[in-house]
Amino acid sequence: MPYNIAMVSDFFFPQPGGVESHMYQLSTKLIDRGHKVIVITHAYEGRTGVRYLTNGLKVYHVPFLIIYRASTFPTVFSFLPIFRNIVIREEIEIVHGHGSLSSFCIEAILHARTMGIRTVFTDHSLFGFADAGSILTNKLLKFALSDVDHVICVSHTCKENTVLRASLDPLMVSVIPNAVVAENFRPLSHPAYSDTAILPQHLGPHDTITIVVISRLFYNKGTDLLVAAIPRILASHPNVRFIIAGSGPKAIDLEQMLERNVLQDRVEMLGPVRHEEVRDVMVRGHIYLHPSLTEAFGTVIVEAASCGLYVVCTQVGGIPEVLPAHMTVFAKPEEDDLVAATGRAIAALRANKVRTEKFHDQVKMMYSWTDVAERTERVYDGISGALSEADFYGYEAADAASWSATRGRAGVQSFALIDRLKRYYGCGIWAGKLFCLCVVIDYLLFLMLEFWAPRDAIDIARSWPKKLREEKVAGDGSSFPK
Amino acid sequence: MVPNQAPPIPATITTMTTTTTTKVTKQQRPDLTRSSTVPNLIPQLASNRTLLAPEDAIYQGSPPRKQSPAVKKLQHGLRMTNGLNGDAPAPLQSGRQKSRHRSRSRMRKVTWKKLLWVKQSYPDNYTDQATFLEHLQRNPRLQPYDFWPLVADSTVIVQHVCSVVIFIVCFIGIVQDRISPVGVVGWGSVATFLGWVLWDWWLGQDDLFKHPNPVQLLAPQYNSTVSSASSTSNLSMHNFGSTGSTPNLGAHHHNPSSLVARHSHSASASSIQSATSQMTDQSPRLIPIFPAGSTSSLSHRTSIRLSTAKSALLIYFTLLGLSPILKSLTRSTSSDSIWAMSFLLFTINIFFFDYKTPEASSGNKNIPASLSTNAALMASTVLASRLPSTGQVFSLTLFSIEVFGLFPVFRRYAKQRTWQGHVTLTGLLIVGASGGVGLCMGHGGDGEGMLDFPWKAGLTGVVVGVISTCLAMGVCSWWLIGLQKYKNEIHGPWDPARPIIRRQWDDY
Repeated sequence: MPYNIAMVSDFFFPQPGGVESHMYQLSTKLIDRGHKVIVITHAYEGRTGVRYLTNGLKVYHVPFLIIYRASTFPTVFSFLPIFRNIVIREEIEIVHGHGSLSSFCIEAILHARTMGIRTVFTDHSLFGFADAGSILTNKLLKFALSDVDHVICVSHTCKENTVLRASLDPLMVSVIPNAVVAENFRPLSHPAYSDTAILPQHLGPHDTITIVVISRLFYNKGTDLLVAAIPRILASHPNVRFIIAGSGPKAIDLEQMLERNVLQDRVEMLGPVRHEEVRDVMVRGHIYLHPSLTEAFGTVIVEAASCGLYVVCTQVGGIPEVLPAHMTVFAKPEEDDLVAATGRAIAALRANKVRTEKFHDQVKMMYSWTDVAERTERVYDGISGALSEADFYGYEAADAASWSATRGRAGVQSFALIDRLKRYYGCGIWAGKLFCLCVVIDYLLFLMLEFWAPRDAIDIARSWPKKLREEKVAGDGSSFPK
Repeated sequence: MVPNQAPPIPATITTMTTTTTTKVTKQQRPDLTRSSTVPNLIPQLASNRTLLAPEDAIYQGSPPRKQSPAVKKLQHGLRMTNGLNGDAPAPLQSGRQKSRHRSRSRMRKVTWKKLLWVKQSYPDNYTDQATFLEHLQRNPRLQPYDFWPLVADSTVIVQHVCSVVIFIVCFIGIVQDRISPVGVVGWGSVATFLGWVLWDWWLGQDDLFKHPNPVQLLAPQYNSTVSSASSTSNLSMHNFGSTGSTPNLGAHHHNPSSLVARHSHSASASSIQSATSQMTDQSPRLIPIFPAGSTSSLSHRTSIRLSTAKSALLIYFTLLGLSPILKSLTRSTSSDSIWAMSFLLFTINIFFFDYKTPEASSGNKNIPASLSTNAALMASTVLASRLPSTGQVFSLTLFSIEVFGLFPVFRRYAKQRTWQGHVTLTGLLIVGASGGVGLCMGHGGDGEGMLDFPWKAGLTGVVVGVISTCLAMGVCSWWLIGLQKYKNEIHGPWDPARPIIRRQWDDY
């Protein structure tokens, strides 16, 4: 059954990034599967109002104050009026928030539950538990996720992290990885895209091997490791070149390293590249080096493998889950080990032990957005009751009866205010009471809005004519969903 | 779509609602089959098995009085996947295996793998008991404290607080015309000089130690006499310092003078500090340049001594020149603001002071954090600007450089060299500080009361101060040990890795 879904996050195009493209690709594929999807984000410079993207994806750019790196100012209630308006206008049934640092997403989940709408949250990042910033963020996340219907994480490590951070029932958390659009990351010559026959590349002992690094040059992307490792790799392997793309505060360190060691002729710094150009950079190399220190999923190494590159990466976060062993060489996040792993990768390539020309098809089989959309759809089915509880949570119905009472009728969290308050109350001695207060105020605001801006005064938006599902093409646009 | 249109739930179910998923921490639970057995099960779960399970994340070691709501939720998750029906709390190993058997036999042939690239026949929200959270580490770097070492370590803090107090007492004495400023700075300088002599001697020992010659087969014996001698000299020096109620200052002017000369033209107090810090950073490199041949090392050390004397003279004269300016620096500011400001700055000094013990390998050359030193020197500058005459201003500023710039370095080194010396120094500082405070606050020798004698206030201060300091050290240590049980650090693969880089790339 088709749903009306609202994706909510602070992070969306035109800003580039992993969350943004995830939301876009997922929305597109869900639309292909017959759902109606809208995106709610804040206004970017030059992007205000309502926009339509390809495939009829409608984007609401809500004007909001931005404080830090495209995150909006966290006000607990101020998003409610316009959010309610949009939700009623678009007849939304499921609100799907993305990104735990997005206050938009957290607010939307709260308001959606107040309005009696199912919510899903997707977590894209890993957080520690040690520093003050993480503690605050984790408390906020706990607040938001106390009353969420289901959570999606991009890797199993991310799931463990989120379960701990927000004290969730592990069964409420699904792991659905990111994906890549394989067509956009194809190797230089591939039979599926050109007529040339497949030629296994044979590298002689003296052919130049190019190592590609594409990452934002930040501390947590491991640029320090890179700076330490490059001179040693280049010193021990004469026929090796580097291509480094990306910008960031650590770029200076890299450049200083190049100047000190006079490596300008062997290391090419490209500066920032757009996401569309990433493939063109990748196909110039043989090895992709990814020295990151923390990574929830690491889409970029999948992209690199899809381009037919042999991947050398640090064994951190969710990275070990992402690619099979024959595509990767893992290193510990240490300078020595990274150098050694790169050496192993170079030796394996020179010995022609790695069939990189097969990587593309293999990656294409592993990750696709269609698959992601299907699995997400199953989550939607589960929370809205289309799937039986036993099917969704995977245990016997008898077992379920004893605890699912809280979840109301269909294996989903009850909307009754008292039940919601109980869930929030458990968040902490003080925080629990504060959260309850927030929820009560939110509910009162919602009631006031029902009075001041009644539902029947809000117009219902026409939905974009669907390509496949409706046979009678809605040329006049008169066919509303339902 | 009014939200609370939840279906009418039978009364029994609502009570279950309250017990099971709600996050209310403590509740009277009706006699339900599952949830009532849960709490008994958990400690057992935690104790007898090797693998971690989700509930370990929150349960173990968190404060016992409150059971985290997350535990309950996680338990639910666990039990669900296990398929255990909440019956008797079975010993875990068998329960776990049984449950895995069951789930496997239910529909799965293959074992679940923690991989994203394989299509698995498990649902997306499947939680594998054997591997979920297996890399979780709790309190990995926990080292339990012992009482007496903790008390011993707290002496460093006590020393610093006492030296700040002594400085303030001296200021009050000068302001109230009870102590002559020249006396303060004179005794201070004498103590500084003695400290420097001691320091210089210790350095000489270090050099002998670092470059043993064939001649020095006698070295161990020599060394033992030295240590005893040094402790006695230490003692005598401290007596000296405390009678003048001034802390003694270990100068560390053993450094080459070039840097001082470079910096001294702008010899505000803070820049002196920064100059010394630069020098000290460099000195470890300089020492090995001169091999241990006795004549060459002597000449090297002599030149160092000469340069030290030169820089001391430079500081002296610069301060002398600056004093008239400092005197009128804050004339337009009211005294209240000055007291508040200097209080704040001294607080900053105490809180940001670098109390950590340097490793023996890194040598004695670490300079305390500059924020703290700068705050103290600024505080003493604004305090000095309250004083009426140039001589007083000069004395107080010079004294502050000795107390806040040089004395910490000496204390740090002294602690490394002789433990007895360190303890004695601490005791003397406590006595000095508390006696000074007593003298400032009380009034003795004015003929009032029966038991009046000239040093009554001071003696009372000493007694009260020493007792309260010892109590505070003990109580704080005990408190810190008590707080350890609340420590609950969680580490896992999601933490940013710490890159291990062999060489800093300044070294290339």
